[in-house]
Formats: sequence, structure tokens, C-alpha cells
Amino acid sequence: MIEIVETGPFNTVQDLGRPGYRDIGVSASGAMDPLAVKIGNILVGNAEGAATLEIQTFPFRLIFKRRSAFVVSGTDGNPLLDGIELLPWCAYNAEVGQVLELKQPPKLARAYVAIGGGVDVPCIMGSRSTSLRGNFGGNAGRPLEKGDRIAVGEEAGILPIPASGLGVVEPAVALLEFFPRSADGSLLIRALPAGEHKLFVGDGEAFWSQTWRISSRSDRTGYRLSGDPVVPMEIVEMRSHGVVPGVIQVPPGGEPIVQMSDANTAGGYPKIVGVIECDLWRLGQARIGTRLQFVRSSYAEARAIEQAVASYIEDVRRTSGQIKRALKAMA
Amino acid sequence: MSAIDFSDPATIAFLTDALTAASVAGLEISAPSGQLRIVISGAGEAKIGSNRSVQPGSVSPVLVRAPLAGYFCVAHLSGSAEASSLPRAICATEVLGFIRVGPVLLPVSAGRSGTVTRLLAEVDAMVGYGAPLFEIEVQS
Amino acid sequence: MIAPSNGHALQREILSSTKARARVSSIGSRSFLLEAPGDFDLAAQRRIWALSQTVKGWPDIAEIIPGMTNLLAILKETPEDPDVVVDRLLEAWDSALSIDLKGKTIEIPVHYGGQHATDLPALCDLSGLSDRDVVRIHHEATYRVFALGSAPGFGYLHGLDPRIYMPRKTVPSLRMEKGCVTIGGMQTGVAMLTGPNGWNSIGFAEMQMFDPTSASPAMMAPGDTVRFLPARIEL
Repeated sequence: MIEIVETGPFNTVQDLGRPGYRDIGVSASGAMDPLAVKIGNILVGNAEGAATLEIQTFPFRLIFKRRSAFVVSGTDGNPLLDGIELLPWCAYNAEVGQVLELKQPPKLARAYVAIGGGVDVPCIMGSRSTSLRGNFGGNAGRPLEKGDRIAVGEEAGILPIPASGLGVVEPAVALLEFFPRSADGSLLIRALPAGEHKLFVGDGEAFWSQTWRISSRSDRTGYRLSGDPVVPMEIVEMRSHGVVPGVIQVPPGGEPIVQMSDANTAGGYPKIVGVIECDLWRLGQARIGTRLQFVRSSYAEARAIEQAVASYIEDVRRTSGQIKRALKAMA
Repeated sequence: MSAIDFSDPATIAFLTDALTAASVAGLEISAPSGQLRIVISGAGEAKIGSNRSVQPGSVSPVLVRAPLAGYFCVAHLSGSAEASSLPRAICATEVLGFIRVGPVLLPVSAGRSGTVTRLLAEVDAMVGYGAPLFEIEVQS
Repeated sequence: MIAPSNGHALQREILSSTKARARVSSIGSRSFLLEAPGDFDLAAQRRIWALSQTVKGWPDIAEIIPGMTNLLAILKETPEDPDVVVDRLLEAWDSALSIDLKGKTIEIPVHYGGQHATDLPALCDLSGLSDRDVVRIHHEATYRVFALGSAPGFGYLHGLDPRIYMPRKTVPSLRMEKGCVTIGGMQTGVAMLTGPNGWNSIGFAEMQMFDPTSASPAMMAPGDTVRFLPARIEL
């Protein structure tokens, strides 16, 4: 059990989402940075898809009502346990009554709190994620509020976390060659042309060549991009069709919208590109105001990145288990 | 010939490694400056007793050792690479470095407050279990 | 909350596309959209239903989302060669036979007019019909659920009488109540969530059509027949 002591708006329980119900109009939801959820869960010994707390407004504080292993992943800010600074991406043990505090991180958007045993809210349609639009899932279908008491699952069979903690080289560093940074500091996001790409002048040249900024009208549903509007050469009327996170649609105003985790299941605006899935977590960590550039990708590149991410995750799983077992044996 | 400082952790570490490698059970050295006793207890673990004939209330060096074999790193690979200039005052829970195994980092904390005076292992190099990493001077 | 892709507000009908072949495009690296050529009609949708049944059984498919005369197929993994996927989808479309799903019949009691029928006067102006006639035409028709989407359990209903077609609003209502019975272009439906909505409301239905805790959360399914029963007419 944990209790929320302080929280901003729109902090929710999220896991890897509930894909599979979009054919009945239910958004997949799930963490904006699923890689942080997987790594956090693996470090504390959970299944990689256990439910976590997604914190996107700060400060946030919770109190542990039971001795628990925990980790704060995804973020570049240092969490505090009873006022003592800890490392992000590093699992620790919390004693009963200890308070975990997250302050506004320096650069990134979202922090994930994974707890040994997982956040234990009811599993609805295969997931514990909060569906904010549908008002179900997660913690009573709504964001976290001060005073909420949330159950945590049993840590049965979980290996102990070493007393000084157990961390990882975070994905952005470990996988640097697969997630390059631009020279001018803007975020490079890889995408493939989508259905109506050819309707835009010069094969979407204006879209690919400019630096976009994430507008303030952005949330878990989608990010609006500010820049020079891109307008299709002809108006097409699309029949409503299924969409997935990462699709970039261009409404009549010419300001593109990237659909994110709470993406609607259907859409009809012209689609200029689709972000490759393994770059979505980086968008999920990009704040309002972040400058973005889109880079044309390929199926081969997308596969190479997916494989690199999968082997990193597997390596963390295997090695962290070995280390915990070795230290337990030596203790 | 300059005198060997038997309280030097590097010297102790060197001797310990040499004894372990040679499967020697232990060593005792007496000198005017004090006494050093190293007993190799097996599995590469050494018990070291160093007795300096100095006044109480002075500083005594303590070694922080590798809790595991792996690559030794000083700053968190993810965080700002704060140049760890030495000597530096630290508290007991402070993380001095990491042992990295693949992508996993095992923090190495000081275990006591004091002053880090020396780095004893090569950064980014592979270190064995029990290898000395830092020297800390503890105010007694 | 932005609602840019609200299928509600956006879905518009291509009146005619005479391309003989279906079109396949992609979203990202593992989602492929097949769009049927030709009219937006029951015949095309029946083939989409058939295609959905075929594609759903492919071992490399994670999820499918049938839309309005189109189908989004989401693969489990990024394919090595996307052209192979495109060819498979086109072949499956070409060999998809029209099927008629044996759906159930759902009768939805509606309170026509009243406080929720915010767009009924505008529809009367547009159609030149009296409010009584608009309501009669709406409840006398029989509708088919073409697909679900846009909101949990929301069914896109086909079969609206052309006399009461009404384009979606250019500026959506900011807060339309869940339960509003609406018209969007040539379709009708019942709003499943309270929020921004570009469709035109002519009445209200109390019936609960989505329960996330149920084994089958959505009451409607593609192929179902829907009838609106005038529980009350308040004009």
C-alpha cells in the first residue's frame, strides 16, 4: 500500500496499455514512455508490464505503507527518499513510513514509479492503465489525488534489491548509437511517409525540412506541432479509419498533430507520416516547447532499432537477475 | 632506498593480490612506523589489520572495495559527469562510483563519512571482486 | 484535451472513388490501412467484414481495426518487406466475398426533441422539413452498425434517409452529453462520451451501451441492426 501525499493534475496509473480493443472504440492508453516502465519493472523484479505511476506534473510525493522495492525511471531528475537524494533509473528499498518525493525534472517530461509487486488496481480489459477519456481503468478511472491509498501487489519470489541500490545505464545512453542527437539540440524523430504524404507539396518537403515545436496544446492524447503550416495540394475527404499512436495528421489549419498514448481509435484527417514505434518513447519524454525534426526512416532501420531495444531490455533482465542472485548468495 | 609505507592502501592491495596469487596464507610486517598483518582467508578475501604507531585522534584510511567483479565507473553514466576532484568530503550513503556489468550498475557507496583521498582503480577498467576502489580518510 | 482525430467530427464521406483496386498505405512501420474503392455503401462494408475475418486469422496480426469501408491491420512486428504485406492485403481483398454478418437487433428508446436536441431547429432549416417529420424519418429507418470506433462502444450507423443528412459542424460543440442521438453527414449514432462533438443532436437515449467491466464491453457490433424507438417526442 502507498498513499499519495501530494500530486499535480493528470498523474495516472499506467502500464503498457490495452491494445486489442480499438475495434470497439477503446483507446490503448498506457505509458507515454513504455521503455521506462519495462526497465523500472525489471529492476524491481516485476513482470515488465506491471502497473506503475506515471508522473507528469510535479512536485509529487507518496508515502510507503509497506516495505517495498521501488525505482523511479524515465526521468532525469533525482528522486528524494525522506529528503535524501537518490538516483533515477536505480532501484532501492523503502521502509514503512518513508516518503518518496519527485521534483520537476531538469529536461524530461515524465517519471515512472515502479514498485515491487506492481500497482494493484483492478485489471480492466486486460490492463491497469487509466483511460482518462473513458473514465475507467487505473485508479477509479481518474488521475491520482492527494489522499488516495493504492494497493501494491505481493512481492512473492522477488529477489532483494542490494542495500546500495541497483541501477541501469539508461536507454538514451546505452542505445545512443540508435537514438542519435542532432547537433543543434533538437530531437530527431524518425518517421515513414503515410497515406496522404503525396498530397503535400514537394513530397512533404516543408514537413521534413523544418524544425517543429511542441505546442502548449499537447497532452497524452496528442501533440500539436507549431511551425510553418503544411497544407495539402487538394482537399480530400477521408472516410473514418483506424489510427494508432505515432500517426501525424494535418488538419485544415496545417498544424500537424502527433497522436500519442491516449490516441483516438479513429481519424479522418490527411496523414502525412507515421512515427516509427521505437521513437515514440522519446516523444513521450519531450516537453511542451521541445524542438523536433523529422527524419525519413526505413523498415530496415525500424527493425534494427527494435532489435537493439529488445536486446537491451533482455540484457537488463538477465544481468540484473544474476547480480541480485550473486549478492544474495554472498550476503 | 625509500621506505615502503605499509599503511598505503595501494601497497596493501598489491601485497594482498600478490599473496593471493601466490596462495600464501598471510603476512606480518613489523617496522618502526607500525605493524601490518594480512591474512588471506580464502576466496580472495583478505583480512587486513594495520597498526600505525601514531597518536589516537588522527586520521585513519579505509578502503572501499568492489562488491562485485565488473567495470569500474566513477560518475553515474546517466547523470552529469561531475568531475570528482579529490580530496572530497563525503557522507556515508553517498555513491562514489559503480560497478557496471553489461547495462546494469551496482552503486558503490562509502559506507562511512569522511574524505575521499584517492582513487585506487582505473576508471572504466575491469576490476575483480574485492578490488580496492577508493581510499577514505575517516576522522576518528 | 485535444480531439483532433475525433472520427465523429471528422469523418466525411468520399462520394465516389472509381479506382478499381483497393489502396494500401501505412502508419509507422507495422500498421497497414486498406481502403476499399468505390462507394460508401453496405456492399463495400460487407466485403470489409469478410476481409476482417480473414486478416484476423493471420498469425502475424496483433490487432485489426475495421473502419468505414477500410481496415487497419496492425502487425505484431515490423515486417522485413512491407510490399509483401501490401500484396497479401490486396490479395485478401480481391478474394474477399461479400458476407452479411448475422448481427442482433438493438432497439434504442429515444427522447426526441427537448433540451438535448440542440441542433433540431438547424436540421429543419436545412432540410425544409418540420421537426415532426425529421423525427419520424429518423425513427422509421432501419440502421446497420458498419463499424465501431472513435469512442468506447460508439457505432457508426448506416442507413440514414438522405432527406435528413446534415454535415458535421465546422466548430464542434464543446460539451455534448453522453447519450445524445446525433447525425453526422450521412450517418447517425449515439454519443458515448460527454465532450467535444461535431455531430448534430436531435434527441437523447438513456440506454447504457458500454460497460468496461463486462466480458463483451460494447453492446453494438459490426453487422448489428439498430432501430430507434420514440419513447417520447417533445417538440
